[in-house]
Amino acid sequence: METESTMTLERANKLVDQRALLERARRGDASAHRALYDTHVERVYRLTFRLTGIEHLARELTQDTFVRAFAAIEGFRGDAAFSSWLHTIATSVTLNELRRLKRERARNAPLDDAMDVALSTPASDPVMRETLMRAVNDLPEGCRTVFMMHDAEGYTHQEIATALGVTEGTSKAQLARARGKLRVALAQFAKEWRP
Amino acid sequence: MSNKDQEAFDTWIASKAPMLNAPGPAPRDDMWAAIQASRATSQDAAAGNLPGVTPLRRSPWRLMSLIAAALLLGVAIDRVMLRPTEQGTTPVAAVPTAGDSADPSRLYRMAAAQTLTQAEALLTAYRASDPRQNAGTAQLGRWGRDILSSTRLLIDSPAGSDPQLRALLSDLELVLVQIIQLSGAPLDPADRDMIDRALQDRDLLPRIRTAVPAGAVAGGNASAD
Repeated sequence: METESTMTLERANKLVDQRALLERARRGDASAHRALYDTHVERVYRLTFRLTGIEHLARELTQDTFVRAFAAIEGFRGDAAFSSWLHTIATSVTLNELRRLKRERARNAPLDDAMDVALSTPASDPVMRETLMRAVNDLPEGCRTVFMMHDAEGYTHQEIATALGVTEGTSKAQLARARGKLRVALAQFAKEWRP
Repeated sequence: MSNKDQEAFDTWIASKAPMLNAPGPAPRDDMWAAIQASRATSQDAAAGNLPGVTPLRRSPWRLMSLIAAALLLGVAIDRVMLRPTEQGTTPVAAVPTAGDSADPSRLYRMAAAQTLTQAEALLTAYRASDPRQNAGTAQLGRWGRDILSSTRLLIDSPAGSDPQLRALLSDLELVLVQIIQLSGAPLDPADRDMIDRALQDRDLLPRIRTAVPAGAVAGGNASAD
């Protein structure tokens, strides 16, 4: 059975390993880059996919995130968690791309539904499914991003705040605003959540 | 609608949200191969091994100079476009007429977008920089001076009629001045804390990120969400 002291020791060892790995990565060690990639790629990909809903775009944005991170890793100070830094890059890259797509779509409307969320599992009511997707897509960018990160992907407000460069209070406010707007948009389905 | 109803909704939507844009497993190996290829191409370009590709990144000051020149060109176009109006007897802010072939406010917004994009890059680099390194802070200071010049030109320009954009530029100016003043020497924690607080209190980076696409380039108002 693990005691508190062995768990603390394990955490300390992990921290030392992580710092050593980052140091090797800073020196350009390709195996360290690969190890960092393997550790973090799943979560970065999930985030980019959640925000874009398009597989090829999620791939490109994930790749772009790691290319940028490895290019700038020498300047990474290491006093923040590498994963936080990586997620800051990932959200910045993804939101910039979504804005670019939005501008492009506004010019060429109605071309396609790129960047709209899609419900991957069929809901019991197809009308509700459609309404839910439209309501999420209609949220303002800040609300939508926080909602997808928190409710869909399970990020904490602290993680969201770090990634988006806002305060935790702003993240909480955006989530409350998103949920409030969604409740209004989905009012016709109130029997689904009312006991 | 009651808080209880909102709480019930929050629980319900939290159960539905994971089904939105649910990702499959990451295609790790394919993406790693693409990352390696991209890095190899960048390294070849930086080494000057790619025919027809100038290794600009090898000379960051050349790159900075080009960016600064582009910024100044944008602002200069704006000012030259406005000059005939300013030479009139009444010193009023220029208002483009329907017959104008170019819209000065559009040019202004383009120049503002360029400046804000550069400011975002600078502030991001500042946040990632090592405060103990003289060279790093000195470089940020030099970079900041270029952006500060453009920022002040934009603030002074009569084409800048959007109050939110002007407020953003003024806040940016203050933070840039702080970064420039403290550059060239290792930042002590108190100095850094002061800049960090200024950045955070003014919500500068998120406002810049919002203003660039919404206000300056696309032609709408620069507004924070």
